[in-house]
Amino acid sequence: MVRIKNENLRKTLRIVVPFVLIPAVVFAGVFVFKENMYAWITVACVILALILFYASFDKKIVGTRRMVIIAVMTALSVIGRAVFSVIPAFKPITSIVIITAIWIGPESGFLVGSLTAVISNFQFGQGPWTPFQMFAWGMIGLIAGYLGDPLRRSRIALAVYGAFSGIAYSMIMDIWTVLWYGEGFKWELYAAALATALPYTMGYAVSNVVFLLVLGRPFGEKLQRVKIKYGV
Amino acid sequence: MRSFKDHNPISVFVFYIFAIVPAMFCINPVLMCISLAGGVSFRLAKDGLGALKKMLPFFAFPLLGVILNPLFVHKGVTPLFILNNNPVTLEAVLFGLTLGAMICSTVIWFSSFNSIMTTDKLLYVFGSVSPKIALILSMTLRYIPLYGQQIKKVRQAQIVTGLYKEDNAIDKIRGGLRIMSVMVSWALENGIITADSMSARGYGAGRRSRFTIFGWRTADVALAVLCAALGVVTSVCMGIGHLAFEWYPEIVSPGMSAPAVTAYIAYALLCAIPTVLQIREEARWRSLQSEI
Repeated sequence: MVRIKNENLRKTLRIVVPFVLIPAVVFAGVFVFKENMYAWITVACVILALILFYASFDKKIVGTRRMVIIAVMTALSVIGRAVFSVIPAFKPITSIVIITAIWIGPESGFLVGSLTAVISNFQFGQGPWTPFQMFAWGMIGLIAGYLGDPLRRSRIALAVYGAFSGIAYSMIMDIWTVLWYGEGFKWELYAAALATALPYTMGYAVSNVVFLLVLGRPFGEKLQRVKIKYGV
Repeated sequence: MRSFKDHNPISVFVFYIFAIVPAMFCINPVLMCISLAGGVSFRLAKDGLGALKKMLPFFAFPLLGVILNPLFVHKGVTPLFILNNNPVTLEAVLFGLTLGAMICSTVIWFSSFNSIMTTDKLLYVFGSVSPKIALILSMTLRYIPLYGQQIKKVRQAQIVTGLYKEDNAIDKIRGGLRIMSVMVSWALENGIITADSMSARGYGAGRRSRFTIFGWRTADVALAVLCAALGVVTSVCMGIGHLAFEWYPEIVSPGMSAPAVTAYIAYALLCAIPTVLQIREEARWRSLQSEI
């Protein structure tokens, strides 16, 4: 098991990874490899960012109960993706991630989103896109958690955030589509990818709004009840 | 001597990183051919000739590349023919072919990755980064079948109490929502009970240790080191730029300089490792059988 025991070393690493390693990867990619390496660089950056998040959450998740609730919500959203897999672009993952994030916290939202991507891809196929899905869903959860207060209060705000995150998810994944084409990032290609993905983007946005409006309140009540009853 | 898939998952993981990443991001026809040959021969050695049928659809990618790339890209100096006032160039066709081969080889490597790296092995790899997250992962994996069974139980109980008599869609949807609501409450409560039971048994009281069935033998270390060494040699040669093709406007091959040849040989050796281990294991098994 790789565990860094030295507290100082761990602290240093936490500073080194984001401020030195990620820029270093970007610069090395741009200057040394020159062409056709954009996708490589992006994958490396995304993986570094994920490692960073995971390493910081490993300390932050205190309490067995919170940990178990993260596992429960992840399992529910994986099942949700499998159940609705017959309808393309119509999946409840994003809404479950958002609900978890606003009731339990930003870190929990990030973990539920990114772990759902890994686990459900055992069924739908792992690939170089997995880190991107992890990052996209994770960030949707993290930001939802930070906006927790207004989203909890107003259903309209929740629906708007759901629609926005559907579009954002599609846009993040299309960056990957363009990079995988191997010619670097070009705005025309990106626009073309966005245009062809438009039905999916609409599907994501609509399904997020629908699921958030249907599930938002009952799920929220249940999570809040557990929170009050057991003091998570 | 063990077959490739029985080695320590971290060694296997290292192999896949170095086999897939260079192939994915350097559009060089020689590397693509090596990668394709390695991926295909490993699947054939592992799953027999039947795997050929399963891999056949993946070869649509090079075909698609040949057709689609020239339709969008009109750069290049060697026009083959004119289509709708746009030249279809040899360069675009060849680039499409190589790009398609790259996607094809990546998908084939991932198909063997998915069958070898089962969830327990990936869990082992993850667990070495963060034990807490590995625990969450393994709990989630356990919950998925558990919830499936519980949904069935709740459904049966509701049928016995007289629900779902009418045969219409609205009743079914409402029933589905009711089951879902029951499931969420039950899952959360059940989770809390699990958590309390874990704390009662001392979870979180001391340093985490973990159980694993994967050990490190000499062969595992050797495999990891060999893969990393060959992979680094390939990447470095690639990084110096001795493998970069120029596709447009004219194809300029990097030629057979010493670093390029080194990279090809290193990458070919890397891609051959799983097939060689697999064939050796099988030959050994057969010879042992005949001696009995």
